[in-house]
Amino acid sequence: MTIRNTNRMNRRTLLRTGAAGMTLLMSNAAVGRLAAQEASGQVVIGFSQEPTVMHPHMPHIEVDEGIHFNLFDPLFIVDTEGNFQPSLAREVPTVENGGISEDGLNWRVKLRDDVTWHDGEPFTAEDVKFTIELNQNPDFNAMRRNGHELVRNIRIVNDHELTWEMAEPFAPYPAILSWTFIVPAHALADAENPNQTDFRSNPIGTGPFSFGERVAGNYILLNANKDYFGEGPHLEQAIFRYIPDMTVLYTQFRTGDIDVIGLQGIQPDRYEQAQQIPDREIVIAPSSAVESITFNMGNPLFQDPEVRRALSLALDRETIVEALYYGIPEKTESFLPRESYYYNEKLPEAEFDPEKAAQVLDEAGWLPGADGVREKDGVRLAFKNSTTAGNNVREQAQQLIQETYASIGVEMEISNLPPAVMWGEYWMMSQFDSVMVGITFTTGPDPDVSNYLHSSSISAQGGAGQNTWQYENERVDELLEQGGRMFVPEKRKEVYDEIQRLVHEDMPFLPMFQYANLRGHKTGLEGFDPNVNVRIETWNLNEWRWA
Amino acid sequence: MSMNTAPPAMAAKERRWITSRPVRRFVRHRLAIAGLVMISAIALLCVVGPWMLPHGMLDIHIRDRFSPPGSETYLLGTDAMGRDLAARLFMAGRVSLMVGIAAMVLSTFLGAVIGLVAGYFGKVIGTVLMRFTDAVLCFPQIFLLLVLAAFLEPNALMITIIIALTSWMEIARIVSAEIRSLRERDFVTAARVSGASHTWIMFRELLPNTIGPIIVAATLTVARAILIEAYVSFLGYGIQPPLPSWGNMLNNAQQFLDTAPWLAIVPGVAITLAVTSFNFIGDGLRDALDARSDLQ
Amino acid sequence: MLRFLTYRLAHSLLLLFLVSVIGFMILHLAPGGPLSQFALSPGMSQAELEKIAERMGLNRPLPVQYLDWAARFVTADWGESFRDGRAVLDIIFGHLFATLLLILTSTILSVGLGTLVGVLGAMRRYSAYDYLATVGAMVALSIPTFWFGLVAIYVFSLRLGWLPSGNMYTIGDESFLDYAEHLIMPSVVLALVQVAIWSRYMRSSILDVVGQDFVRTARAKGLTRRRVLYVHILRNALIPMITLTGIQLPTLLSGALVTETVFTWPGIGRLFLDSLGYNDYPVVMGVLMFTAMFVLLGNLIADLLVAGVDPRVRLE
Repeated sequence: MTIRNTNRMNRRTLLRTGAAGMTLLMSNAAVGRLAAQEASGQVVIGFSQEPTVMHPHMPHIEVDEGIHFNLFDPLFIVDTEGNFQPSLAREVPTVENGGISEDGLNWRVKLRDDVTWHDGEPFTAEDVKFTIELNQNPDFNAMRRNGHELVRNIRIVNDHELTWEMAEPFAPYPAILSWTFIVPAHALADAENPNQTDFRSNPIGTGPFSFGERVAGNYILLNANKDYFGEGPHLEQAIFRYIPDMTVLYTQFRTGDIDVIGLQGIQPDRYEQAQQIPDREIVIAPSSAVESITFNMGNPLFQDPEVRRALSLALDRETIVEALYYGIPEKTESFLPRESYYYNEKLPEAEFDPEKAAQVLDEAGWLPGADGVREKDGVRLAFKNSTTAGNNVREQAQQLIQETYASIGVEMEISNLPPAVMWGEYWMMSQFDSVMVGITFTTGPDPDVSNYLHSSSISAQGGAGQNTWQYENERVDELLEQGGRMFVPEKRKEVYDEIQRLVHEDMPFLPMFQYANLRGHKTGLEGFDPNVNVRIETWNLNEWRWA
Repeated sequence: MSMNTAPPAMAAKERRWITSRPVRRFVRHRLAIAGLVMISAIALLCVVGPWMLPHGMLDIHIRDRFSPPGSETYLLGTDAMGRDLAARLFMAGRVSLMVGIAAMVLSTFLGAVIGLVAGYFGKVIGTVLMRFTDAVLCFPQIFLLLVLAAFLEPNALMITIIIALTSWMEIARIVSAEIRSLRERDFVTAARVSGASHTWIMFRELLPNTIGPIIVAATLTVARAILIEAYVSFLGYGIQPPLPSWGNMLNNAQQFLDTAPWLAIVPGVAITLAVTSFNFIGDGLRDALDARSDLQ
Repeated sequence: MLRFLTYRLAHSLLLLFLVSVIGFMILHLAPGGPLSQFALSPGMSQAELEKIAERMGLNRPLPVQYLDWAARFVTADWGESFRDGRAVLDIIFGHLFATLLLILTSTILSVGLGTLVGVLGAMRRYSAYDYLATVGAMVALSIPTFWFGLVAIYVFSLRLGWLPSGNMYTIGDESFLDYAEHLIMPSVVLALVQVAIWSRYMRSSILDVVGQDFVRTARAKGLTRRRVLYVHILRNALIPMITLTGIQLPTLLSGALVTETVFTWPGIGRLFLDSLGYNDYPVVMGVLMFTAMFVLLGNLIADLLVAGVDPRVRLE
């Protein structure tokens, strides 16, 4: 039991590649090139969800992206600081370097010429064109068309350069491209039905790892791509193990069965205990998701701004964060992540003052009725709060809030639903009263939040978007439209500062905290560096290595 | 049960039910008595227990969380939010027992009616009903239950209905088999000749004669319903907090197995005790009523 | 014999048809849908979800969807997973080995142990042992399987560190011993209920047989007690057990689902629960059909076996 397979593997491969120390003598450039051939050892990553969708453009969930990042490359990636770094593109197109025209309508992208697909075929501009057009193909079951739909007249200048036009300026497009993984035209273009290809079970990419095998319900094995054009990989194999139970996931991390505990990581209540495990490092990984209580403004109850204000005053964010989440995440006032360049630091901090909340309601005419619950004009101040059934910590938070609200004469009934029901039309078509949910509002590092806050994004009113709280503010609409067409960050920030201020004032939802997730790895694993701008911690496996 | 309507032909058989023989046999069945005592004690605790404790089941004491059993005012310790585990256990017991008993009543009713109609009418209706019963029996119960639970709002009533919908088949089979064997008996023919309606014959003549096996099956169904509620809650599709049930107490406890094992042990023991009691009682009743379990 | 087989097959097909209708209706009439899992991904909208639904053929009338599904089903094309696009049948077969391994091991365990406990109980009827075995069986039937599994993990994995807490094998090892090590806890946990059932039925089955004429005849012929037990009683008492095994299949599968969840065993039950969580209707439907077929086939085989072993049973 004590001899774990990983260790054995390490020793075995170490013997095989015996002369590891020699690299010290070589020049830096040579090391970079050699690193791939030096790949040694393996890493076993545990996920509590199973990656199944290998085609990066078909509908998938975040855990699938943990594989995509390693099999494929986008034109450029976003680093932990929120900056774009070239990947398949030779440089990131900007207005300054002429990659994007002043008006944001014309794009020119130059590609690397030393990239090959896992099957040996060369990577060319044709592949980029194919990928964008695939996402426009009406017959293709694309996950997202947002942004790609605006691209017109893709022209291939030569094998490693292409241009296109945008139907309108769209500032978030670089961010969208940073998660648009390029797929091979030669393997996919001839498919009769773009939705049914071998690619789904046998993907070919340009990434640092190539697809090894998948044992459904169990694990996915990736092998080092020794010809990778970028850094690494330094590991010979990566195994993504699917362990559906969070307790078992943690136990296997503790016993050493897995080297890395990934999505959904360690539960906050185990933080202290986890830090005591010898030879393990626990990492707090920032996430861009913001946990909030959202109000359905279509409900007359929540149209009263004083009600929203009172509910905010009676929301004990401090206790929720400190006691239930063990102080791991940080309280926040904004829907943008703190790491974002566009984050507004000047938002006033929400207070917790139940007495004042009661006073606000008194003044607004909501007076306690016979059963202790406040009423006004025959309407009781009672509503439901829903979230995904089975999320224990969130359920505890609901119960805590329920208690405080009851103390000021507000009845909050907890009514949680199975995920299929919760996030179906109940959520999308605004059929709820209030919801507790963690949402990533941003598009990667881009601050555009039109999808969540523009009045044209209300699905319940025939719009296209996820403004499920039915928030309408003309000024915010204007600012969102303005911000979506701006390409100079300094100027853009002013617009988004103002949007954040207005939304904070209107309170269509009450932000509580920005998520921070507990991840962990064995001591000696280097390169593990969670990125707030992507959804999964295995985004940079090419940089991982054993010390 | 009013038995006075039974025709004389059945009198001999009937005396077996009313005379004290089954009762005596039940009383002699030590396990059954133990079960009866145990479940009465549990039920009593669940009813009066919450009033005798210093804390309510919803009182949150964040600072006292994870107190082990026996600390200060917390008889069985506290949970992750510092709520009194004993108070929750008793309230959860009410919910679990209610769900178990209500599911039993519902499924027994459903099963008895379907079995009665199928057995009495035989031919087309009977065949159709029994094939339907067979079809539902082809699904492993948990599988069927989860499919239903995954798409419905998981409150106590819904869970009860779902459990009932997936556990009536056995009773239907038992009843239909009994009825088929009784259908051609003299007393039924006599009733038919004397112009009694189908409903009368089914509910007043036939049903009382199958009451023995139904009682046994019903008792065992309570036991199974309590277990099933626990399974479904454990798998995350059961009764949702803040309403506690023994099942969802266990679901929450799973992640603290390491640090606060009592959170898992206490409700687990409660479930085992309650279910064992009902199984003991069912076993005793089976012996007393001499109803052979139906292997078909 | 032929008539029996034809009848049973026709009957089973009818049941399968009913099963498919019931399953399909429950799945598709329920609120929510397979696309809700994408709702919270950045940039998603109801309009976009509806486009996806249309391309996946999810907004056609229900009877059309059913007929389409059924037409493919009878040609052994059980559709494709909404998630990874693999054929449903392939996915099920991919998980079958794990479940069979678990079920078979635990059945062997429970048949052996259950027979032993039952025989001893019947031979020493009303002894302290018999009493204890009865109580033990009843308690075993009353313990929530998953809770027993959790306690086992707590004791044998977390505290003692003797056994792995989950999975079927260690990647890279996969030796027989490695499998065995992983198999111990899940199969014992799953066997718990089965042992109880087996021992109870075995006991009463033996008591039934003991009272029958041929046993008295055998005794009268002067055969030894042991020979009577092994050759006559046990053999005859085991016949109803074959039927019981068939009848217990659904319970066994339900138990397997729970056990697979607790021990993260990559079998059919786990697949079912996952697919349900992701609203992967084709797979959920496929597993429902597969388990129903499994149950029907199991019962048919059991009946045929009984007919083969028991001269008193004739198949009509």
